[in-house]
Parts: sequence; structure tokens; C-alpha cells
Amino acid sequence: MKELLLTALLGIGILVLDILNLKKYVLPFILLALATLVGFIAADWGTIETPFGQTMLVYENGANLALGVFAVVLFFWFILSSSYFKQHEGKTDLYALVVFSFCGAGLLASFGNMAMLFLGVEILSIPVYVLAASKKHDLASNESGFKYFILGSVASAILLFGITLVYGATGSFDLAVISNFIQDGKDASIIMNVGITMILVGFLFKISAAPFHIWTPDVYQGAPTWITAFMSTIVKAAAMVALFKLFTGPFQFYVEANGYTIGVIAAVTLIASNTAALWQTDVKRMLAYSSISHAGFLLSTIIGNASLLSLLFYLLTYSIAGIIAFGVIKETQTLEGNPLKGLYRRNGVLAFAFTAALLSMAGIPPFSGFIAKYFVIAQLIEAKYFALVVVMIITSAIGAFYYLRASLNVYQHIENAGRIVLTPLIKWTYILLTALLVLLTVAAGYIHLL
Amino acid sequence: MALVAAGFVVTTMLLTHLLGPKRKTKIKNEAFECGIESVGNARTPFSIKYFLVAILFVLFDVEVIFMYPWAVNFRELGAFGLWEMFTFMGLMVVGLLYIIKKGALNWEK
Repeated sequence: MKELLLTALLGIGILVLDILNLKKYVLPFILLALATLVGFIAADWGTIETPFGQTMLVYENGANLALGVFAVVLFFWFILSSSYFKQHEGKTDLYALVVFSFCGAGLLASFGNMAMLFLGVEILSIPVYVLAASKKHDLASNESGFKYFILGSVASAILLFGITLVYGATGSFDLAVISNFIQDGKDASIIMNVGITMILVGFLFKISAAPFHIWTPDVYQGAPTWITAFMSTIVKAAAMVALFKLFTGPFQFYVEANGYTIGVIAAVTLIASNTAALWQTDVKRMLAYSSISHAGFLLSTIIGNASLLSLLFYLLTYSIAGIIAFGVIKETQTLEGNPLKGLYRRNGVLAFAFTAALLSMAGIPPFSGFIAKYFVIAQLIEAKYFALVVVMIITSAIGAFYYLRASLNVYQHIENAGRIVLTPLIKWTYILLTALLVLLTVAAGYIHLL
Repeated sequence: MALVAAGFVVTTMLLTHLLGPKRKTKIKNEAFECGIESVGNARTPFSIKYFLVAILFVLFDVEVIFMYPWAVNFRELGAFGLWEMFTFMGLMVVGLLYIIKKGALNWEK
């Protein structure tokens, strides 16, 4: 509970700092609060907390770990994005919105009740609609925010309808009661199945899985790059954690009955995104399609009896790589022509970090994206979804092509390249994150100890 | 039974539609504006200030609505309720100060 209170108070604290004209202390304040949050989680490790004696929110190890992953990713997001927000006139507003959205992510990590689930989804999404349109005078940003808002609210409505149908079938919003309803041997009525399908559809939109992924490239391309980085990492990760909690918890019977349908959705997501990404000329749009293809991997964790740990490991490595990749795009965005071409002559650290991030997304060792994909595929083989595994491996090979093409572009020779100068803090954060991508591979060997 | 009920509804609706006298004039077809003659197009652009004030009104309106049940249960809730209300009001005051700082209530600018 104190984790949620801390994030909510952090958001309000940012507004107070703005009122008091203390804008320059905002960033240290946020970083300190996020570090405290991770400290709280470490202190709460191994305990189960249900605030007010209700099961509205349940803080157990899984929820705490997910929240910790989001907090760590957000911490690095704030450090790397500081150079962009430094000049921004509405800096504190945007920071506050990001923190409020993070509150929603916290709810989605720890909900024990369908009401809290919906509240979490809304708190997560509504600030992001505003953030996507936060470049007020840029037409593409406005379009992005508007598209995301219209489509996102329809998806939320479908999700809400699904929740009410499940309530109609079981008579409760409580996840424990819904699980018991099924375990008691009562038949899942057709209303229940329709409801769960609608919940699934709502979440497929939020994690941008096919056939509900069409909005992703437009929204990701139009939104300010750092907001895209936030959307493709924390927002997606939070929605995925909630989906995983539901469909490996109370709705497990649904996955057992419809495993192949979900497998086909994952396969279609992988094929549609990877084939489309091949033809992209804009690197931001290419990363949007790459983000969709990762949704295919993430979605298949729910049919492979995967553990929450392997999902969180995937989310952490993907988020770190995503933050690096979008960050490098932002640092080079002011350049004309093909900004990434010959990046190694402009700044070696950025070029190497970008390559590492793309190779990690492609799943090439020694980067941890390989281990993350390995966990997913190994569990799918155990669950005997061989066709899906074949699709995954073929599409990963297609993916490696466009990731490598973008990385090679960075190492092309160009004449009289202007340097890109980074502040020491940001430079060392890029180096640290790149090192983390390798270190996580080693850490994966100890994952069973948690 | 259901057929008779549905048939009755459909028949009466059809009959009133067919038999009722219709005298359509230009004035009768106009949108009803409380008896005042309607002027111009409804789709003219408004200044964003109106929307800001309207949405802020809704916000503080809801705050007042929240105070009614508290006032009714004031004795039962006791000190706990008082502090909860102070927290809530405190948060609203922060919001109010914030929008004043941002100039949302500045009509001239």
C-alpha cells in the first residue's frame, strides 16, 4: 500500500514543486522517490499485504517484483529523458502525468479485484493520451494523441463490458471468488466465455497484438519520442502483467480450452509485424512494428505455462533495450537527412548502445534478449506448441535482418560529422544500461533463486 | 401473448404515424431554442477558455457532492472522517493552486 501512496504523493509533490517555483529540484526529487520505492519493495519482500483487510489490492512477491521492474525502468527513463525535458516549458506537467500513469501501472501489478483492474487500466491510459499529444503545435503529435484516445477508449469500453459479463456470470468482481467459482466445478456459462473474450480483446489492444495492432505505428511515430519510449515499455509492460495475472489465475480454464486460438493470435502478430517492419524507412516506425512483434512473444507466455519471473525478465530486457533505442533516436533527431547514418563518428557510446539494444531485441547472444526469448520458447516446447515455435524462429530470423540493417547503417562512413555531446550522467547511464543488457544474461542463471 | 403485445405496439405506432395530421412549415422544422429564434450555425469554434472553466466547474461541483454524505454521517465518522476530508480537501486545494499558477482562470490572456 505504501508503494501506491508514495507514487500518488510523488505526482502531487511534483505539482507542488511547480506551484512553489522549484522546477529545478523536480528531477532529483523524482529519482529519490523512485529509489525509495525500490527500497520499500525490498523491505516488503516475502510478505503478503492486503490493505484495509480487503482483497482489492494484494501485494505479494509477484506484484512487488513487477512494480520493482517498472520502477527501475522508469528511473532510467527519467535520467535519459532529462536532456529533452530540460528545455520543455511544460516539464513539470509532463513529469506529473508520467508519474500518475505509473500509479496505474502499480495498480495493474497488484490488483485483486476487477474494479481495481479497470481503474488501473484507465489511470494508466488517460495520462498517456495527453502525453502523446503533448507537442501542441505538431500535427503528427496531435493526430497520434487523438487516434490513441479514440481507439483506446473503445478498447477500454470493450474491456469494461467484458468485466460486467464476467460479473453477471459469477456474481463477483473478486479474483479469488471468480477462481473458486470455476474450481468448484461449476460450468463456465457462455456469458462467462464471451466476457473473458472481451477482456482479452481489450488487453490485446493495450499490448498492441494483432489484429488490434493497426494503431501502433501511427501513434508511436507521431508521439514525442520519449513518450513513445514510455508507451512501448512501461505502459505495455503493465498491461501485459495484468493480462498475465488474469489469464494464468482465474481465467486459466479459458486458456486451457482456447490455447490454440491464442497461439494463432500470437503467430499472426509475429508474422504481420515482422513482415511489415521489413519495408519501413522511418526507424521509429520500424521500432513500433518491432514492439508489436514483441507483443507476440509476450502473449505466448500465457499459453506456455510460463512463470511470472520469465515474463518479467522479458519485460525488463525489452524495456531497457527500448529505452536505449528510442533515446538514441531522440538524440539524433535534430540532424537532417538520415540521422542515424554514420552515428559512430558522431558519438561512439550512442552508436554502441544502439547496436546493443537492437541486437538484444533481435535475440542475439550475449545480450539478454536471447535468454528472454529462450525462456518463452523453452516453455512453449514443453507445452507442445511446436507450430508457434517454428513461426517464432522464422520471424526472429526476419527480424534479425531489419535490426542488423539499422545497426549497420550506424557504422557507415560519413565525411565531416558533427559531434553529439552528452552530459557525463547521460553518457554513463547509456553505458550502464548497455552493460545491464549483458549482465542480465548472467543473472538469468540465478533467476531460480528468487 | 408476446406476439399480441409486440403487435399492439407496432400497430399503434404505425397507425399514429399514418393517421396523424402533418403540417410541416419552415418555422416548425427549426430547432427549438426555448422560444428564441435560432441564429447562425451551432458548429462555430469556441474559445478553449469556456471548456476549461466548464471542466473545472465539474471538478469542484463533484467535490461539493462528496461533502454532502460526509456532512450527513459527520458524527458516526468522527475524527477519522474529519482527517480523510482534510486530506481530500488538501489535494483539491493543491489542484486549485496549480490551475491558478498555470493561468487557467486568467480570462484576459
